Amino acid sequence: MQSVLKTLSVLLFAGTLSTSALAADPIKIGVVTPLSGTYAGIGQQVRWGLELATKEVNAAGGVMGRQIELIFEDEEANPSVAVQKAEKLFQVSKVDFLTGTVNSGSTLAVGQLAERSGKLIATTVSFADSITADKCSPNVFRVNARAGQQSAALAAWMSKEKPKAKVFYLGPDYEMGRSTVAAFKSNVDRVGGESAGEVFAPLDSKDYTQYFGQLRAARPQVLYTSVAGNDTVRLFTQLQEFGLLANMTVLGASGTVTAQNISAIGKAAEGFVTGVGYSAEVASPENKKFVEAFRAATKSDPDLYGADSYGLIYAYKAAVEKAQSTETDKLREALRGLKWSTPQGEKTIRAGDHQAEQVMYVVRVKDGKFGVVAEVSGPDAIGADTCTRF
Amino acid sequence: MHDALTLDARANHWLALALGLACIGTACIGYAIGDTFYLRLATEALIFGGLALAVDILLGYTGLLSLGQALYFGLGAYVSAVTLIAFPSFWTAMGAALATGLFGGLIGGLIANRVRGVYFALITFGMAQVAAKAIYNTRSLGASDGLIGVPVLDVNLGIVTVSTASPVGFFLLALGVVTLLYALCSYLMDTPFGRLLIAIRTNEARVPFLGFRTTTLRLGSFVLASCVASLSGALYPMLRGFVSPELLFFSTSGNAVITVILGGVGTLVGALYGSIIFTIVKSVIGSWTEHHLIVIGILFMAVVIFLPKGLMGLAQPLMRRMVHRGKP
Repeated sequence: MQSVLKTLSVLLFAGTLSTSALAADPIKIGVVTPLSGTYAGIGQQVRWGLELATKEVNAAGGVMGRQIELIFEDEEANPSVAVQKAEKLFQVSKVDFLTGTVNSGSTLAVGQLAERSGKLIATTVSFADSITADKCSPNVFRVNARAGQQSAALAAWMSKEKPKAKVFYLGPDYEMGRSTVAAFKSNVDRVGGESAGEVFAPLDSKDYTQYFGQLRAARPQVLYTSVAGNDTVRLFTQLQEFGLLANMTVLGASGTVTAQNISAIGKAAEGFVTGVGYSAEVASPENKKFVEAFRAATKSDPDLYGADSYGLIYAYKAAVEKAQSTETDKLREALRGLKWSTPQGEKTIRAGDHQAEQVMYVVRVKDGKFGVVAEVSGPDAIGADTCTRF
Repeated sequence: MHDALTLDARANHWLALALGLACIGTACIGYAIGDTFYLRLATEALIFGGLALAVDILLGYTGLLSLGQALYFGLGAYVSAVTLIAFPSFWTAMGAALATGLFGGLIGGLIANRVRGVYFALITFGMAQVAAKAIYNTRSLGASDGLIGVPVLDVNLGIVTVSTASPVGFFLLALGVVTLLYALCSYLMDTPFGRLLIAIRTNEARVPFLGFRTTTLRLGSFVLASCVASLSGALYPMLRGFVSPELLFFSTSGNAVITVILGGVGTLVGALYGSIIFTIVKSVIGSWTEHHLIVIGILFMAVVIFLPKGLMGLAQPLMRRMVHRGKP
């Protein structure tokens, strides 16, 4: 029995040796992303973005002569599933790198697994600040803009367009809604705005008019809201019916008005402003080329998830070529401070907290479509480095 | 003199022994080839098997369908995670989880046992949803992001010390805990207490005429089930290093019910077999197609239609004949 086991383990060991010895073997990138359930739409964009960039890189000769191979697993937007699938990719498929996690809980949990397995991951979607702040990990990178960057960009724009504005806050009454409002409020305080009051409405509120008395009495120039989905539809249409939109600019979180609800909101969405890390309307030649290629491949427009995921493959390629290795420690060093170009313009990974710094865009709804109205430079939006672990 | 129920239970014990031996065999092979993923997947299967065991006590013996057993599983996991972050000791975490199961089970049992049938299912479902939402919105518990940073432990078992980071070590530890839970449950189900639970399932109205209070019995089975679920849940953060509100969601409770039905209702050991098969099937199909929920739904329906007694409905009669060959 023992000799059988010994032979078996020798064979397996020899197998792993021979695979790592061949330089022309593909580089494997694991993608743990929601392909089913509520976040399947986001997972779809992640998949399209990664696949498009991989195809381009492979057609141009790959990374250090090696082709990139993507291995997808469905995480069902559940951290327990994500961790199990990530472990499978690390241990069984022996991936060199991992990405794709969407909800912040999955990114944090998979990041911890990566740290314990000595691998690197990057998220292209999660925007909870904690991932590159108090819960930062030496093995986790983020190439998309975090919530703080979106809200800092929006506040910077507001202070320019509406200096010393009185701002009224209306958020959904749950943890995320409250923390989004608190983050924007601290940004407004920083740029010299004034608070005119705040209310929190339960999720799935049918009637927002009960808050309108307070809103009208406060006479704000700006309303900031972080409601989402169908709540936005009801809030905006009710604001319009009560004639409150006439003398007030409505700002919101990036998830407040989206492609999913913009047509249902209709005219009431006109003039809504938010801060984002990407818009398909960005007028640079790189972006035009990217949007065309994306449309040709998928017959849909890219959104920020697709664009950030597309950019990640190029970041990985640049880092591997700089490090001349896919090995964790060398690659981590190469990724720190890495500058590379993406459809959104040049991005830099800040070495201190692994957060990507990028130009932020302020977009406004006009004729039922978002258009870019301003750009906020990377250093103005990124905020302080609060990661203390490395 | 043994009645049919005892004979069934004995057949189940043999099946449990076979499962245990198979697990030890798996551990040996896994250790020899230096595997990590499959051993840890098997550990997860055992942990969720503990949750299914809890559902089977309620569904298979007392006749109560709980659609919220993940409440106690998740509470056990959170209590264990919080304890471990503050004070990394296996026994303290298990003790805290047991206390949570007892206390939470008493409160939940007093609420849920006021009603029967479909209302019981709805109340248990509702309680789990309320707790899940509360945790989802509590920032000190990590809110929607969950808690990470549960440390790797060295568990001192007296003779040996096992690290939770060791795939084979923790697999055997989880096997030990789940075996103890199984042994405790199957012992209790063979006592007069267990027989009375079966009597409640069969005809609750007649039990008081035999001189027993059904409310106490039902509460007893509810508390037992919540303790089993909570202790199983306590192992989860040790395995994965984190907890998240999804552990309390309906998908976790629902999967536990599917597991029990797949394995065979009212057999206890079926819950463990069911969990292992369900976890493997989910992992394999999940990697194969993103439409895994459809495949699992169809498999579930097929089991309900063609194997109404689950997998144990196939295995148990065979085993009973083998065990009692030659005996009257």
